[in-house]
Amino acid sequence: MSSEQVATRFGSGQSVRRIEDPALVAGEGCFADDVSVPGQAFVCLQRSPYPHARIVAIDTAAALEMPGVVAVYTGADLVAAGLKPIGSQPMFPAPGGAPAPQTPRKALAVDVVRFVGEAVVAVVAETLDQARAARDAVMVDYEELPNVTHLADAIADAAPKVWADASDNFAAEARHGNATACDAAFAKATHVVELELLNQRLAPVPLEPRAVLGSFEDDRVTLRMSSQMPSGVRDTLCKEVFGWPTDKLRVVVGDVGGGFGNKTGAYPEDIVVAFCTHRLQRAVKWVSERSDEFLGAGHGRDLFSRVALALDADGRVLGLRVHSMANVGAYATTTGVVIQLLIGPWVSTSVYDIQTIDFKLQAVLTNTTPVGAYRGAGRPEAIYIIERLMDAAARRLGLDPAELRRRNMIRPEQMPYTNAMGQTYDSGKFESVQTQALKLADWAGFEARAAQSKRAGKLRGRGLATFLEWTGGNVFEERVTVKVSGDGFIEIYSATQAMGQGIATSYAQLAVDVFGVSIDKVRIVQGDTDRGSGFGSAGSRSIFVGGSAVKVASQRTIEKAQSLAADALEAAPHDIEYREGEFRIVGTDRKLGLFELAAKQADRQVFMDSTSAVQAPSWPNGCHICEVEIDPDTGEVEVASYASVNDVGRAINPTIVIGQLDGGAVQGLGQALCEQMVYERESGQLQTGTLMDYALPRVGMVRHFKTELDQSTPCLTNPLGVKGVGELGTIGATPAVVNAVIDALARAGAGERAAQLQMPLLSECVWSALHGKSA
Amino acid sequence: MNPMTLTVNTQDVQLQVHSHHLLVEVLREQLGLTGTHVGCDTSQCGACTVLVDGQPVKSCTMLALQAEGRHVTTVEGLASADARHPIQQAFIDCHGLQCGFCTPGMIMAAAALLQHTPQPSVAQIEHALEGNLCRCTGYVNIVAAVQQAAKTIAAGARK
Repeated sequence: MSSEQVATRFGSGQSVRRIEDPALVAGEGCFADDVSVPGQAFVCLQRSPYPHARIVAIDTAAALEMPGVVAVYTGADLVAAGLKPIGSQPMFPAPGGAPAPQTPRKALAVDVVRFVGEAVVAVVAETLDQARAARDAVMVDYEELPNVTHLADAIADAAPKVWADASDNFAAEARHGNATACDAAFAKATHVVELELLNQRLAPVPLEPRAVLGSFEDDRVTLRMSSQMPSGVRDTLCKEVFGWPTDKLRVVVGDVGGGFGNKTGAYPEDIVVAFCTHRLQRAVKWVSERSDEFLGAGHGRDLFSRVALALDADGRVLGLRVHSMANVGAYATTTGVVIQLLIGPWVSTSVYDIQTIDFKLQAVLTNTTPVGAYRGAGRPEAIYIIERLMDAAARRLGLDPAELRRRNMIRPEQMPYTNAMGQTYDSGKFESVQTQALKLADWAGFEARAAQSKRAGKLRGRGLATFLEWTGGNVFEERVTVKVSGDGFIEIYSATQAMGQGIATSYAQLAVDVFGVSIDKVRIVQGDTDRGSGFGSAGSRSIFVGGSAVKVASQRTIEKAQSLAADALEAAPHDIEYREGEFRIVGTDRKLGLFELAAKQADRQVFMDSTSAVQAPSWPNGCHICEVEIDPDTGEVEVASYASVNDVGRAINPTIVIGQLDGGAVQGLGQALCEQMVYERESGQLQTGTLMDYALPRVGMVRHFKTELDQSTPCLTNPLGVKGVGELGTIGATPAVVNAVIDALARAGAGERAAQLQMPLLSECVWSALHGKSA
Repeated sequence: MNPMTLTVNTQDVQLQVHSHHLLVEVLREQLGLTGTHVGCDTSQCGACTVLVDGQPVKSCTMLALQAEGRHVTTVEGLASADARHPIQQAFIDCHGLQCGFCTPGMIMAAAALLQHTPQPSVAQIEHALEGNLCRCTGYVNIVAAVQQAAKTIAAGARK
């Protein structure tokens, strides 16, 4: 096969079958709990049953007497060993500019517990059964303290304090824009639309629960775990918690059964396992149960917003006001606060030319599980807000919602465009994307379908979301090592981390582009901090940052190999050309294979250690259009159709990209229609702590996706022209489906009540809105 | 500990198990069959689905001792010596998996369906997979994979 044929069959732009799949369908994946080592002990955690309580005493005597028990540790033991807490966010002050309250998080609570599920005691035993039994034998005396789990309660006068030095439970505040100018814009507006919107708390629920296996060798701890950010876990544990040099800890990651942001930073359980492994100098394993995940792993979203849009008589937006409060849980982590106070706001004005903004964003502490990253992380919240406002404004003005959006869109000739938050979009043809989507969804043919639904006794509605998002985590550098082996393969190591996105396949395709060898000669390796460090995979950065780095590293490898080939062929480097896995002296038949060349080297390989960077974030965008049918007798919502056009720049593997979009969209539909984390107001107990209570989307929620990629607008700030795609579908789906439900209700004459609806749009809420009474 | 005998992927095995041990624990920990996954603790996710005498069973809901004398098939036992099972191939072809954690359970639930309903409707596929959660794919490609597998198996049977 020629290199052109290879590139045509396996290179970028092709829907190559995933190289990950043969092992996974055979049950030969290697997830975190699939690895055990002889002699491993098991750790179980006793968690707080109270949302807020003082720890009066911990009696471990009975547990220590139990069979098989190796050790019992409390927070005091970790403090005595010199472990430091994970610090709170350093970026934003409290309201009024006062220093932000400190909310240091210890791996095991000391003195006070602040949410149901906070880890208090760790029990290590020879078997899992023994560890569970001994965990239940640890006696902790608690003195209950007043708790607050709901945002409105937390900001009320005389609310219980989650932290003593956060007098009003406010953890942080950010102001963006110009409130005075925005007030002026509202004063001269012809139309003002106002909404109160809740982006409810969600659980990310990657299907693989976390697991951590610690082992101890040569005075080093190795954690084998499920993580999106192996290097980040190592660095937090070494630098912040243990005070170890970073080479004291190795983090190894195998197959990751979904991440969605939930497996980004270091968790208390990681610290506990590292501590137990180091202290006991033996292998120790912790395996999360699903209830541990609901209680102890990060939650997502939870943002209440009062928002308003000012428009002139023609529907041009004059100003956007967003005043939001984020319930960040019991600890104000950097991730939890930055997502809501900075990252979300970066895209609040979305694809629209809105330069006058007034954003006031506050982070509020409550006795709930800390909120962290969840797919989209701030952008779904921001886009939901502006897309709900756009639809409300269109209804107010009597305009087609697509037309109102079109009038406000940033035009291609305005690129590069700097938005009101100072973020610069390199590219985007938003009106074109919307026009394509309207056609794909047959927007114009809606009335006929609505009439058909009506004949079947159903209410039909349509909703759209035009939007963009920011990707990249603003970490643009990646290191990649490439080894061309004399044994006939190319091994590429990247510190980005696969978690189901198919990046091994996509990276291999990029390597095929450069090397011109068949894809089975390329091996992609990830997940070992001994082999390379990096930011990991989050914020849809892998393909545009990591993939670009793979391309650059591959090119540098060829350049290096070319000079080695020149030596071997006794020719000048510029007389050597590379094609089809071979170096050749131009115009002759003298040639040397790439792998042959590697075999000639002293270490039988050509090795390249390459670090490169892209210039800026990418700004993927799209238009998602959903039609729903509502059963007026039950309020049940069914997704009747879903169409989207997505500007993803260049697609390395279109099937994988569409898989990300559609799978992501169903997560977005989950927020719109069924998912919510619920705390009982009085007791502070989590009521959705199992998969029986937390409603994930199931099969049949959407039966068909019409999904198209617009590849005509490459990203201009990375060498691949790609835009991050991991979160796009989730961001677009939520407002598209909610807007469709509201549209259906408005057409049935219940528009005002529909506008008050909050997610999730459970059938009882929809029924109540439709009929104007409680279900 | 109690002695027990069962057949796993056509192999007869003799084990010593605690009476409270679940089938999934024995499969994973004693037999090393880690393709069967545990994704929850309330029998909701279906990642642990195996076949017991041909019926789909969430192996987290069955005590190991209840499998005494029965035939258990896990995802590791589905392929023939030289080829993937058509369902496994269809999941690859249709991009019916992303992270792959739910996949073994999905494949086993689909295998049970196609044994008794070789040409299922979409509604029948949805019914059969109702007890299996996937967080990555959005399910559409999973349903497509089961449809493709049904066609492949039917074509094979006609040959």
